[in-house]
Amino acid sequence: MKLNKLFLLFVTTIFLVLAACSDDESKENSEEAAKKAEENLTESGLPIVEEPISLHFMAGKAPTTASDYNEVTVWKKYQDMTNIEIEWEMMPKEGLEEKRNLALASGSYPDVFYTGYMPNNDLIKYGEQGVFLKLNDLIEEHMPNLTKILEEYPDIKKGITFPDGNIYALPTIYDPEFPSLLIGSKPWIREDWLEQLGMEIPETTDEFYEYLKAVKETDLNENGEADEIPFGGTSIGGLRQFLAGSFGINHNGRQHLYTDIDPESKEMRFFPISDNYKELLEYMNKLYSEGLIHESIYTIDATQSYALGSEGLYGGAVVTSAETTYGTEAGGNFVGMLPLEGPDGHRKYTDIGSPLAHMGGFVVTNANENVAATLRWMDYFYSDEGTKLFFMGVEGETYEEKEDGTIDYVDEIKNNPDGLTLEQALKDHITWLGGGYPGIVKEDFFKGAESYPSSLEAAEKLEPYIIEEILPKFTYTQDESKRMAALSADIEKYVDEMQDKFITGNISFSEWDKYVKTIKDMGLEEYMEIEKAAYERYLSN
Amino acid sequence: MNKQRGLSDKAFDKLNTFFVFLIVIVIIYPLIFVISASISDPAAVSSGEMWLWPVDITFEGFKLVFNNDAIWLGYRNTIFYTILGTIIHLVILLPCAYALSRKEMMAKKLILWFILFTMLFNGGLIPTYLVIKSLGMVDTIWAIVIPNVVGAWSILVARAFFQQSIPDQLVEASKIDGASDFYIFRKIVLPLSLPIIAVMALFHAVSLWNQYFTALIYLSDSNLYPLQLILREILIVNEIGGEGMEGGAGLAESLVNQVKTAGLVKYAVIIVSSLPLLIVYPFLQRFFVKGVLIGSVKE
Amino acid sequence: MRQKKAGGNPAIKKNRLHLTKKNFLKSWQLYVFLLPALTYFIIFHYIPMYGVQIAFKDFYATEGILGSPWAGFDHFTRFFDSYYFWRLLKNTLIINLYQLLLFPLPIIFALMLNELRNGPFKKWSQTLTYAPHFISVVVVVGMLVAFLDPITGLLNHVIMALGGESVPFLTDPDWFRHIYVWSGEWQSLGWGTIIYLAALAGVNPELHEAAKVDGATRLQRIMNINIPSILPTIVVLFILNIGKFMSIGFEKVLLMQNTLNSETSDIIQTFVYQTGLLEGQYSFAAAIGLFDSVINIILLVTINQIARKTSENSLW
Repeated sequence: MKLNKLFLLFVTTIFLVLAACSDDESKENSEEAAKKAEENLTESGLPIVEEPISLHFMAGKAPTTASDYNEVTVWKKYQDMTNIEIEWEMMPKEGLEEKRNLALASGSYPDVFYTGYMPNNDLIKYGEQGVFLKLNDLIEEHMPNLTKILEEYPDIKKGITFPDGNIYALPTIYDPEFPSLLIGSKPWIREDWLEQLGMEIPETTDEFYEYLKAVKETDLNENGEADEIPFGGTSIGGLRQFLAGSFGINHNGRQHLYTDIDPESKEMRFFPISDNYKELLEYMNKLYSEGLIHESIYTIDATQSYALGSEGLYGGAVVTSAETTYGTEAGGNFVGMLPLEGPDGHRKYTDIGSPLAHMGGFVVTNANENVAATLRWMDYFYSDEGTKLFFMGVEGETYEEKEDGTIDYVDEIKNNPDGLTLEQALKDHITWLGGGYPGIVKEDFFKGAESYPSSLEAAEKLEPYIIEEILPKFTYTQDESKRMAALSADIEKYVDEMQDKFITGNISFSEWDKYVKTIKDMGLEEYMEIEKAAYERYLSN
Repeated sequence: MNKQRGLSDKAFDKLNTFFVFLIVIVIIYPLIFVISASISDPAAVSSGEMWLWPVDITFEGFKLVFNNDAIWLGYRNTIFYTILGTIIHLVILLPCAYALSRKEMMAKKLILWFILFTMLFNGGLIPTYLVIKSLGMVDTIWAIVIPNVVGAWSILVARAFFQQSIPDQLVEASKIDGASDFYIFRKIVLPLSLPIIAVMALFHAVSLWNQYFTALIYLSDSNLYPLQLILREILIVNEIGGEGMEGGAGLAESLVNQVKTAGLVKYAVIIVSSLPLLIVYPFLQRFFVKGVLIGSVKE
Repeated sequence: MRQKKAGGNPAIKKNRLHLTKKNFLKSWQLYVFLLPALTYFIIFHYIPMYGVQIAFKDFYATEGILGSPWAGFDHFTRFFDSYYFWRLLKNTLIINLYQLLLFPLPIIFALMLNELRNGPFKKWSQTLTYAPHFISVVVVVGMLVAFLDPITGLLNHVIMALGGESVPFLTDPDWFRHIYVWSGEWQSLGWGTIIYLAALAGVNPELHEAAKVDGATRLQRIMNINIPSILPTIVVLFILNIGKFMSIGFEKVLLMQNTLNSETSDIIQTFVYQTGLLEGQYSFAAAIGLFDSVINIILLVTINQIARKTSENSLW
């Protein structure tokens, strides 16, 4: 048919016209610029540069932060201090991954990806290509504050080093001396109910069981209904994590939920197929089948759980702070629990994260012509003074120092005259709400649920039992992470699913051997090989 | 015979009305639930205490939504995008669908496949973005209005409608009278096709109204944000907190309030975002009547 | 209506045999009608189409799609080799088939609405049944959780009041599909009727007049006039539906999913989402998307072939 040809001709013409339209951009040689940038630097301290310069940041924007960082008090202040102007380009957190990829793919990426949640896999991928700068020597040269922290806590340095020996991103560090933050969710129990029942704080798993059972069977709130829920919350994970230490598994903390270093053999093991883990599930199955764990725990939403908690119906929970989660009235009745001694005498607290909270919050690209200035800009936020600025803002304007030396936000923010909530009032002044930021979080300057007095107290109780070796997330080579993506999609998913089926009794423990075999057939050996290699690399870093 | 028919028709009418009524009752329930939930104590909603009428009435949810100044800008932007986008949609869609419905159109199968193929395969986000960027559309209203302006689905459905409701004889006759295709399309086809035009306009308008992902990717200027993007932000702000929160991310004091308001906002947002579309619908219904000319066509 | 005319005019048939250049010149304006749409498809769909190849590559954003290194069928085999592949495929197919079974419901409801004689009631029923379409999935799932909760849910209260035992609707794999599909139908029934109502508005009233004279009942007229008249629309919508067979709105599934019901609720889209989150695997997601597209196209061609053979209606 002639017309078909005509149609094809039309199609190709449009293609060609459009192809001709696309244009190339070439970057001008920047050797001279680099020299100029170096001369512009000050010796040390602030300001960072003599002549004002400007840097292009792409920043992941949490919905709780201002839509234009250029208008935020902290950044305006810091610009005056450093002579460095930041051109903030905002990426809403929801579309973050797409925006990152699009920026890289279109070639117009920024000088820095800030709070960009850059995944480890991307860090090594684009790091090896030279798009993300290798920071090892640069940190030593330009970042005295961070260097000090890394020297003090070599584990953090090990954690941020990739298999090729390089560092491609600046970390988010939770101060190792701020355990409440490292722990996050803590176990809580009703102090008033213990008293009513004439019980002491449970020390063993059996005593804990007795307590839950008593809650179930006693009308503790005296309303004539059996509406008390012995243990509740939005997920079973918190309870599993809390109990793991009583059954001798999960010895390396929250970033390693499937493998740990067996304290006896010093070998790495995949503990979800261990007998200890089976015992843990049997114990939890006993709790669940006797109605001691809230039946709706797998489907409940946050609002509903909050409602139950604030009505004072929960006898136990695992949350960051009972007071902030369930309100001061109902939450105030809770007190922190101790780790429980298990049937085999294990008693550890394992649900804790590494001080290396995450990486990928600060990535410098090869588009950056002022690397030294950029790193010095960031280094300030690893110092006490910088942390204070970042979290609390400007003295007199957003916070004030009290007589006892503690600091807090000013009254105008805390009790806003326009009726704004604390969060809304802070929006124009600081940008840390929502997380993901690089830097260090310290107890003195951090006003989150983790630094609530009762929360600190609960963490203190757990401290003596905390496991010795808390490992950060491992880094993998590209090939490894490709294999791990496939293996973990099967193995970890299967473990999670079966865990809940065993707990709820949907599957009986007579299927245990089949479960173990299925996991082995999924390629557990290879999974373990990769994990072991990653661990050994971590040790030798 | 006629009487019998009258009787059975009456019974049919009654039964039919009854069943429609039943369906309406079943469907209306979630609507009442949403409206009640938007002004009830969220704890009562999630505990099942509020199941039909509002409990402990509060307008906190709406207050929170409307406290955000950006929402009015969002409304304005969305209305503008929806109207402009729908007009462009119709201008591209209708002639194309009509042309493909004509018998004398050649290479039809090839063209249909050409269009259908785009429904089955797409190049993905990145190449599409690069095209839109090279056309200079990023951060302009065109990035919202032009990509996805028309789809294979609407072309094929509209085409089926034209095939069904535009009699060939009518077109043939007009052509013999010397009318051009442009003229026939404008003066005969369009007036006869009001129902499908209304439906296509509605479908496209609703999808434009509800879209947020395109805006999220292509817009960084918050002055251009559509309503849905702003509402999502309000929604997410209020969902953070509670037990599943990332460490080091939130203030202690506001957690309790957030969990409380999250439930309210969730329902209020639905009402705020869909009310305009519900109001528009009855006006569109009037187009669901026969085109004016059809009766005059005689064999 | 179309069937009636197809055989009716021998002159047209004869004309079609003489499709010539003359014919093209005569109706050149029709081709102009196509230009805007075709230009749009070329620019915004065909030019980016080269992106499909990323399914066979390892994606490097900085290298672009063309520059990324080839990976062959790695991503596909990874998906096919997954322990969960068959379960994912099975669940995806069953949910879609289930939804497809409900395809006639909006048609029936549209026919019912069309028969209503009471104007205001007709208008109100339409508007009210259309409204749930605008409720976001988050809220729908929220309502489901509230209604179906084993302890506080309304439905279980009723069941227990009637002497039954509380049913764990949300965690029981046997219930997942029913809840997912019927809550979807609940939401979209009214919306789905719109297009049929428009098609019904196009039915020639003279046909009804003539049938009335012949003494046909309402039901007979529905069966013999209304349904055949909108059949082309029905067939086209059905085929197009098949063309989207493998795609399920995954957001709702994800919200309804938990480890206990994943036996039936785990579908391809949620798997991609969950594993994709882990590593930002652009290529892997693209490979699975391509797999879905291939299945869709096979189904589409097959069903179109069947439709063409059994009725006169088909897409092309």
